Amino acid sequence: MEMLPSWITWAPLLGVLVLLWIPRERTAAIRWVGVLATLPSLVLSLLLYVSFDTGKDGVQFAHSLHWFYLPVLGEKWDFQYSMGVDGLSMPLVAITGVIVTLAALASLYIRQRQKGYFLLFLLLEVGMMGVFLARNLFLFFLFFEITLVAAFFLIGIWGYVNREKTAIQFLLYNGLGSACMLLAFMGLLILFRSLELSRLHEVMHHSGALAQLSQSGGDTLLWGIFIALVIAFGIKLPIFPFHTWMLRVHAEAPPAVVMIHSGVLLKMGAYGLIRFGVELFPVQTQAAAGVLAWLGLVNILYGAVLAFSQRDLKRVLAYSSVSHMGIILLGIASLNVYGLQGAVFQSVSHGFISALLFYFIAALYERTGTTQIDQLGGLAKQMPVLSGIFLAGGMALLGLPGMSGFVSEFLAFLGLFETRPWVAATGTLGLILAAVYTLRAVMQTTFGPLHAGRERVKDSRWTEAVPMLVLLFFIVLIGVYPDVIGKPMQLTLQTIISRMGG
Amino acid sequence: MLANAWVIPLLPLAAFVLLLAGGRRWKEGVAAWVGSIAVLAACVWSLGVLAVVPGGTGRKMEIPWLSLGDTVITMGMEVNRLNALMLLIVSLVSFLVHVYSRGYMRGDERFSVFYAYLALFTFSMLGLVISPNLLQFYIFWELVGVCSFLLIGYWYYKPEAKAAAKKAFILTRIGDVGLFIAVILAFWHTGTLEISGVIQAVQDGKVEAGIVTLIALLIFAGAVGKSGQFPLHTWLPDAMEGPTPVSALIHAATMVAAGVYLVARTFPLFEASPVAMDTVAYVGAFTALFAASIGLVQNDIKRVLAYSTVSQLGYMMLALGSAGYTAGVFHLMTHAFFKALLFLGAGAVIVALHHEQDIRRMGGLWNRHKGAGVLFLIGCLAISGIPPFSGFFSKEEVLLSAWQDGRWGVFAVGVLASFFTAFYMFRLFFLVFAGEYRGKGQPGPVSSGMMWPMGVLAALALLAGFAEFPGGWLSHWLTEETGIPAGHGSAPVWLPLLTVSIAAAGIALAWGMYVKQSVSPEQWRARAPWGYRVLLHKYYVDEGYAAVIALPYKGLSIFLRGFDRYVVEGLVRLATAAVQTAARVSTRLQNGQVQTYALISVIGLVLLMIGLAAGRLF
Repeated sequence: MEMLPSWITWAPLLGVLVLLWIPRERTAAIRWVGVLATLPSLVLSLLLYVSFDTGKDGVQFAHSLHWFYLPVLGEKWDFQYSMGVDGLSMPLVAITGVIVTLAALASLYIRQRQKGYFLLFLLLEVGMMGVFLARNLFLFFLFFEITLVAAFFLIGIWGYVNREKTAIQFLLYNGLGSACMLLAFMGLLILFRSLELSRLHEVMHHSGALAQLSQSGGDTLLWGIFIALVIAFGIKLPIFPFHTWMLRVHAEAPPAVVMIHSGVLLKMGAYGLIRFGVELFPVQTQAAAGVLAWLGLVNILYGAVLAFSQRDLKRVLAYSSVSHMGIILLGIASLNVYGLQGAVFQSVSHGFISALLFYFIAALYERTGTTQIDQLGGLAKQMPVLSGIFLAGGMALLGLPGMSGFVSEFLAFLGLFETRPWVAATGTLGLILAAVYTLRAVMQTTFGPLHAGRERVKDSRWTEAVPMLVLLFFIVLIGVYPDVIGKPMQLTLQTIISRMGG
Repeated sequence: MLANAWVIPLLPLAAFVLLLAGGRRWKEGVAAWVGSIAVLAACVWSLGVLAVVPGGTGRKMEIPWLSLGDTVITMGMEVNRLNALMLLIVSLVSFLVHVYSRGYMRGDERFSVFYAYLALFTFSMLGLVISPNLLQFYIFWELVGVCSFLLIGYWYYKPEAKAAAKKAFILTRIGDVGLFIAVILAFWHTGTLEISGVIQAVQDGKVEAGIVTLIALLIFAGAVGKSGQFPLHTWLPDAMEGPTPVSALIHAATMVAAGVYLVARTFPLFEASPVAMDTVAYVGAFTALFAASIGLVQNDIKRVLAYSTVSQLGYMMLALGSAGYTAGVFHLMTHAFFKALLFLGAGAVIVALHHEQDIRRMGGLWNRHKGAGVLFLIGCLAISGIPPFSGFFSKEEVLLSAWQDGRWGVFAVGVLASFFTAFYMFRLFFLVFAGEYRGKGQPGPVSSGMMWPMGVLAALALLAGFAEFPGGWLSHWLTEETGIPAGHGSAPVWLPLLTVSIAAAGIALAWGMYVKQSVSPEQWRARAPWGYRVLLHKYYVDEGYAAVIALPYKGLSIFLRGFDRYVVEGLVRLATAAVQTAARVSTRLQNGQVQTYALISVIGLVLLMIGLAAGRLF
């Protein structure tokens, strides 16, 4: 039981092993193994969710092994393999499990070189789970890089026309982010001689140790590390003006990969900002909150305005992601439990919503061969079920109460209104603009008279409808009873915030 | 009965789930029965609740919904007398509309979807009514909005319906954001989301006066959007693109009155702020007259009624703003009955005339459809304020509260608007039922399933006034133990005389123009062609919004699209060019060997690790 985080992380490798033995021509077998191989992690992460003790603060299911020593100037720096889960990573692990399995189902649309695809796909899952579960920065970095490499190939090989350019841009940007992260981690290592999260917490939250550090001029270094971390995860989130790479990924990667990219990978940015920014650097976060709030505001409005005039549905959703990530920033910048909880809720909620919408995109592209809005229209006539799902997803996207998006938006704004009412009030414009661009996108595609040449479009098969309904179920579940993910994160977030007060 | 009143909204919700699951497999009859029975049950239950509900703060029930640090947000129900009355109005009108729709929607290919939406709406509206806290109120407030959107756009393939649905959603959302902020501000300044708690805090003087005003005005912004008050009124007439039973239920009797209900529910906040009261009164009065004047010249039967709804909602706001709490609620109730009746009557006419809605192509229906004619006439008399129909009593109370509050201007505007009301309603009535039939073909029959719900509403439109007159029973019942003043005492004798003669004058003018034809409408039009055009085009408000907001916004979006592509991405390209060497990897990407890639990635990782170690060893 204690090893659960490790099991969850490495379980997909089982599938990798099986896949290696299957000849590449047997595509049906490969597909099924690919889908089934995501199940162990899913089941285990749900088990983790169920057995997670919401009444306990701190890391649970923690385990660590000695990994290696690094001899430096006569000292031996200890590297541990440590894994564990707390209230912040718990919800993210759970949605990763769900989204990966559903994305594997959506990967049935992949028509070529399935073997390589699923190998990388499962590797990607290892990376993502590891990112959320690692309790050592070096380990975290390795997992982070695994996701990068796997995603790079998934985009570059199985994407649309401009896939290679997109993959390169993806790698460049994220490589830049990784470089910043690496620098920051090295800085921490030099300062504290350890990359264990628990050890770092001890030092960073110990006022005596910090005072000593700032006397010896470590303050500047700490600030440098903090800024490097914000840039590293800011690129991932992404924060304006670092967003162009992710637009391309949204538009060019295969939809199943975008489900993961938009649903989980972007959330690694949010996770990193909270885990390494807010939790590790409470003082610096507090000082930088104003800047973060403004950046969030820019994200919200810039993304929303641009989403309105996009011609490609995928780009509408990409810009809407920019806008929605702004809400995460607002939540973080509010520096209270409400806002921070809003940020985590938004990570989870947007994960489900964008996964759902890109599943729809996959199904749509399969039928019409296009996602250009002006070449669609009136599709509700031919595909009522799919259109209904799209409408429901759109409603979730624009923050309709009763669905998950509302809870996160409400909490983020509730939080920010305490500390920065004017920024928050301006941000609520985003709620209106979200309705404007979402309704345009949804209604131009499914309402109105049927677009010429779409008379033979078929409605969904059950293999497509069921995964989408599962996603919708989670979206509604969180919207109707938010405590279902709110409970586990309570104590962890409260602790993080209380450190800021002190 | 009272303790379990939270079950009431769940009944239509269950119907919604069933209807959604049953889908198109069900025959029309089954779908209609499922919906109607669930709502009937809710209606009967509401009646029971109404009979036993105590005065004052009423009965509460809550369950935890979301924990936030030390705060726990709850969901639940609160039933006091105002809520109980609303429960009954909503479920009753909804039930009648459910029955009526079976005839109106006959043969529609998405029949069960229609009933599913109706049930979902009823659930949301009932949930809204019993909300004990502002957040839950807001949640259901948005849900009724989305149901309205779905039903306006029910005939999704019609471009007009699509545009109208979108407009309704966006315009009401503008107001909703006001309410959203109000909820949050109320939380931060009173420490609670409970409506009773917020009111208590304000009454105890714990909240700064400026903040109270701000919260009240923001709440009112939400009400303006939902209740179609100026300047967010333009969606409501367009909402007539939805099926007529929907117009009766959502866009006349219940949802659009939710704004009025919201102001009534949080009335002590408004009472605490003179500025907010003034705003409510002025916006209400202005809207009442403004919409009524547009209604004078419209030619679509449903649009005339829609403008009349906007105008009547203005009356209710006017009353609330003039401290006429019971007058506003009373008018809300009578209006729900007579306006639902008028819409259902209009629906009967539309069905009989094979979906013709232009009143210039109607006429002479009195002889062929006397039943519908009589019922419609009852509605017209009620809304015009002719005794003993209910509208007379409620409108008189509305005007009385303005008078006694010392708002002479508001009072005068209200009286003028009531002249307009009587005129446009009877213009409508005469054009549809009097004279010769001017349309093509022959009017068809109207089924009895559509007629008897109208009969029930007509009886209520006739009798509902006696809940208050004589003796002011309703006001006492509503305000008992709430601390809100019950009423304004008795009216001066001249007031009923004035209102009745004004209404009679309006009716007489309509009669003169459209029956006796001694007054020529063309002549009036010719005298002020400019004025007529302005009214016909609804004061060009839509055009104004398009020019001032929609177009510039589109321009901004397109400008930013260029900015994003050329400036922001341009910077990226610069960076890309600088790292051109890295891009060469792309040529190798194409050789198609997954194993190679795997190798590359492993090598990459190893390199990274070496780099990592080396970096530390400097």
